[in-house]
Amino acid sequence: MSELTHASAQKRFIGGQLLGSSQLVLGAMLAVLCIAISVAAPQFYSEANIIAILRQCALVLIVASGMTMLIITAEVDLSVGASLAFVGCIGMAVLNSTHSLALGMLAALAFAGGVGLFNGLVVTRLRVNSLIATIGTMMMLQGGVYLFTREAVQNHNQLASFTDLGAGYVGAVPVPVILAALIFVVAYVTLRFTTLGRYLYAVGANEKAVRLSGLRSERLKLLAFVVTGLAVGIAGMILSSLMNAGQPTAGRGFELTVIAAVILGGTSLLGGRGSLFGTLLGVLVLKVIDNGIIILGWNQDLQMVVPGIVIILATYLDIIRNKANVR
Amino acid sequence: MSLASTASAKDQPSMLARLFARQELALLVCLVLVLAFFSATVENFFSVRNMTNVLGQASLALTAGIGCAIVFISGEVDISIGSLLATIALPLIIIMNDTNSLLLGVSGALLFGLIIGVVNGYLVAYAGINSLIVTLGTMFIMRGGVYLYTGQRAIPDDASLDSFIALSDGRLFNIIPYSAVIAIVLLAAFGYMMQHRPFGRQIYAVGGNQEVARLAGYDVRRVKFICFIISALLATVAGIILAARVGSAQHTAGLNFEFQVVAATVLGGVSLAGGIGSLTGMALGVLILQFLSNGLRGLGLPTEWQLVITGMIIIAAVAFDEAKRRRANGG
Repeated sequence: MSELTHASAQKRFIGGQLLGSSQLVLGAMLAVLCIAISVAAPQFYSEANIIAILRQCALVLIVASGMTMLIITAEVDLSVGASLAFVGCIGMAVLNSTHSLALGMLAALAFAGGVGLFNGLVVTRLRVNSLIATIGTMMMLQGGVYLFTREAVQNHNQLASFTDLGAGYVGAVPVPVILAALIFVVAYVTLRFTTLGRYLYAVGANEKAVRLSGLRSERLKLLAFVVTGLAVGIAGMILSSLMNAGQPTAGRGFELTVIAAVILGGTSLLGGRGSLFGTLLGVLVLKVIDNGIIILGWNQDLQMVVPGIVIILATYLDIIRNKANVR
Repeated sequence: MSLASTASAKDQPSMLARLFARQELALLVCLVLVLAFFSATVENFFSVRNMTNVLGQASLALTAGIGCAIVFISGEVDISIGSLLATIALPLIIIMNDTNSLLLGVSGALLFGLIIGVVNGYLVAYAGINSLIVTLGTMFIMRGGVYLYTGQRAIPDDASLDSFIALSDGRLFNIIPYSAVIAIVLLAAFGYMMQHRPFGRQIYAVGGNQEVARLAGYDVRRVKFICFIISALLATVAGIILAARVGSAQHTAGLNFEFQVVAATVLGGVSLAGGIGSLTGMALGVLILQFLSNGLRGLGLPTEWQLVITGMIIIAAVAFDEAKRRRANGG
């Protein structure tokens, strides 16, 4: 199927001039959604609701920022959902025994970063396909979290600083949103304006060429795995703060939501193509749909159906547009 | 992602055949080791009753695994099968409750499965959308659809037809569970197709090198389209067996099933890159994991350990396989 890679490489070259167009469509989609929902239910535009949407976006956006980098290097991580739950439990347990947010956070980051490192090493050193490797890690983590704790790890200390991590505000803006924004900006600048970012794209587009030009492609992929892991660490702590406990059952299907948002944002699973701004729009579209379904009083199970349709449709539109561009 | 981009270099079929032979031999040795270890450590492990029970439990993954392996060999993936299990149980149970006919229920389920296969296959083969995205999408849509329709409640089987119940606890000659018989017959039929029929070879050709297959005059799109239909229909059969076993249409049926099947298939040496692997390998992979989990339970380990160990085995097996391949290619 190498011809596919070549074709997408060509498309990228042509698409480079029209880079905005994919995001333009997504932006338009978001606008239409917002207008339609607010016409049907005016409370959509209330301050409280907008803050609620942003808060829900934060968790997904944090992990999706790392995942975008990873998918750009042509790899994927399915273990983020299972890792999210495990990290929350570990962070909470350390917090309970040490009374220190810093140590809890450190433990969470170390664990999640370690998971990312493990995934990265398995993929780059042992050459295991990342889809399989991270399914394996996912199983180990899902089993492992129950061996670690069978019940939710309750928050014993109720440290104010920990509660603020999920539920606090700075002015009118929730803390998780600020954290997500910070991580997003750092990731965006890295991908867009640094040499490292260029290299990540290059690895995904043509790994052999990157290696021949003297770069260590394995290191770049490893880095992307670790960054994704660290993002999961932060998200896991925020989630356990929001739930006021470390839940071993949290994060079921989270990996799929994150990947759906990244793909919706126009990042190609074949690697080398995509943008974080697209991912931001993807997260917003998915979460606005979620919110709309609740506000309009529709059956909440639609929250699974609609994203499924949206991912397929968006990818299909992307293919049609690419064909039109080539002509 | 490398599952779409790696074109596997393949030369003479004779060399490949030898490679397969060795791969399956290695798996067989693993299976024997697993059996020997647990026979020595777990009481009643190596009894006819336990062996046939495990075979019955493995029938779900064996049946769906055939489809999963065929789709892999054609160079694509199908992760919608877990949700499909839950989806097709609805027409099956509802029609049986209404008509008291197993035949009508099964026909309804197969029709649903066929439609799902056609949708997946069309979107991948003819619309050209990445199969991971398509089946991720249909996985969401089907699971959500089942939740919507059932209101997240199980629909019990009120008809309680003897023929339907026999699917779960009936045994051929009072020894082998019918579900295992079904799985073995399907395995033999599709194994024959993959190795000895032109269509099987077309699937290998398409997965091995799509461009070459096209130049050789194969209809690449049609081959992939049919592979997805086969996968959906076989998963439907697995779903019918599961529904018989639990005696209802469960909205949570088959959660994570796709990952178990993918894991067993990959353990069996079927490559995500396409064009490599065999149904025999897949079947051995399923049996190894199933006996392992049965044996670990016999040793009294909590079920969670099975997940952990399965995960480790999959990574180790693929890593080992990859190392072997690289050494064989001199790099």
